[in-house]
Amino acid sequence: MIQLFNVTKSYGGESAAVKDLTIQIPKGDFVYVTGASGAGKTTFLRMLYAAEKPTKGQILVNNQNITRIRSSQIPYLRRKIGVVFQDFKLLQSRTVYENVAFALEAQGKKRYEVSKKVYQALKEVGLEHRLQRKPLELSGGEQQRIAIARALVVDPLILLADEPSGNLDMEVTLDIMELFKKANARGTTVLLATHDHSLHQRFPRRVITLEKGKLITDQQSHHS
Amino acid sequence: MLENIRYFFRRAIRNMQQWPLLCSAAILTMAVALATVATFFLVVVNVEQLAANWTREIQVIAYLEDAPTARELPGLFAKLENFPEVEKVKYISPSDAMARFKSRLADEASLLEGVDRNLLPASFELMLKAKFRNQDGIDRVIERLDNTINVEDLRYGQKWLERFNTFVGMLRFISLILGSFLIFAALFIVSNTIKLTLYARRDELEIMALVGATMRFIKIPFLLEGALQGLLGGVVSLGFLAISFHLLIKRSLTSFWLTPTDLNLLFMTPGQQLMLVIAGVMLGILGSLTSLRRFVRF
Ligand SMILES: Nc1ncnc2c1ncn2[C@@H]1O[C@H](COP(=O)(O)OP(=O)(O)OP(=O)(O)O)[C@@H](O)[C@H]1O
Ligand SMILES: [Mg+2]
Repeated sequence: MIQLFNVTKSYGGESAAVKDLTIQIPKGDFVYVTGASGAGKTTFLRMLYAAEKPTKGQILVNNQNITRIRSSQIPYLRRKIGVVFQDFKLLQSRTVYENVAFALEAQGKKRYEVSKKVYQALKEVGLEHRLQRKPLELSGGEQQRIAIARALVVDPLILLADEPSGNLDMEVTLDIMELFKKANARGTTVLLATHDHSLHQRFPRRVITLEKGKLITDQQSHHS
Repeated sequence: MLENIRYFFRRAIRNMQQWPLLCSAAILTMAVALATVATFFLVVVNVEQLAANWTREIQVIAYLEDAPTARELPGLFAKLENFPEVEKVKYISPSDAMARFKSRLADEASLLEGVDRNLLPASFELMLKAKFRNQDGIDRVIERLDNTINVEDLRYGQKWLERFNTFVGMLRFISLILGSFLIFAALFIVSNTIKLTLYARRDELEIMALVGATMRFIKIPFLLEGALQGLLGGVVSLGFLAISFHLLIKRSLTSFWLTPTDLNLLFMTPGQQLMLVIAGVMLGILGSLTSLRRFVRF
């Protein structure tokens, strides 16, 4: 459950990046966040994992008010949230296995537990045969699948994806959408920021549209 | 817990293997700084030792107007021995003095034949306790002597010893200043070296924070890395010092301005060696801490 009440985020410039946003996203929802470049999509997602603090308003994630969260509590919030980026953010010097294991190790998970889960997560994205490769030896689509495996290996309540297919072609994008849908089917709330309207035509879901930081439409899909 | 510790060590060691150049730069910087500071320390310790050897000979000799009688002597002796500054008292009777004089004259001793054997004055030789072997201590003893017995003449430690002590004090002061300056310089360089390694790994730090690693969890491997580098730096500097010291001793045995017996050079005690290595570890940890503060933030 994600709730925003009159949230405004200003970086100090003339106009705020996000303005007076009030949104409710129930657990298990699948939501597209769309809008032109600079509309505030990234800012919106970043506030959800406490990378930015709202200037005004309240944000509740899983009934926890994260508006004034103490920095020592941020790690525990992030353990419930998987994040996927356009540029993957993989460690080039580490193997595929290590990249995915990283998320579990960071949470202090036991070693045998780590190897089991990493294998499962990589199998989920179809890359269990690439364990010992380095990210740069793989295609962009494969790298993004590793990043998704890293986000999902911790069984997050929420999955945030910021233009995850921005650098990928249609075929690969569809593969990745399948992964998001599978995660969503298991109960993970998914927020997907994208310019790409074709995605929502293929997989109709709730669409939140931002314009200059304001919420202009919030369409529920008939399919969900 | 054990799992975490193993993980931290694995991470720290992997990091060092991954950036061997930066890592060796940090170790070498610390080694050079520690070795330099330790060299200062050794110079001071050895000069101090030399000074202590020389000042051991500082004593006050009081020549008496009249030799005390056999009955007076024990009382006087006790009084002098009770001076808080005095370690040992030796009484030289006129005949003792004459005997010494004779032995010094050796072949010419016959010159003294027929001379009154009480010609030379009786004297007390006062050895001072170590901490009073300076001008101040001598002055105090002289004052006490003046109030106790009839002194005809006094002889005591030469002025140059006083100057030498001033020199040692100054040396100690300069070493302290230079030493702490060096330590700060080392800290600065180490911290910057570690900052470079952190900069090289900023992606990793960012991703760790992103996937929910706690501050502690992010920092500990880097602190450990700093500590390990400091440990190595300390050991390297110790090895370097030990080898140089050994070579110095060997050289000085064959040719040097001081004979080997004079030159009983001191090296660091095992405790001091341990301190040096611990100082390296602290230096590494501090260096990491100061640079981590800049880099790891939520
Ligand atoms: N760190 C920042 N400092 C200052 N201004 C920022 C910062 N991040 C974003 N902005 C501004 O906030 C506004 C919203 O940016 P944001 O990145 O949220 O938009 P977006 O919808 O994600 O755009 P895009 O589709 O290009 O990724 C923009 O005007 C941007 O310039
Ligand atoms: Mg964006």
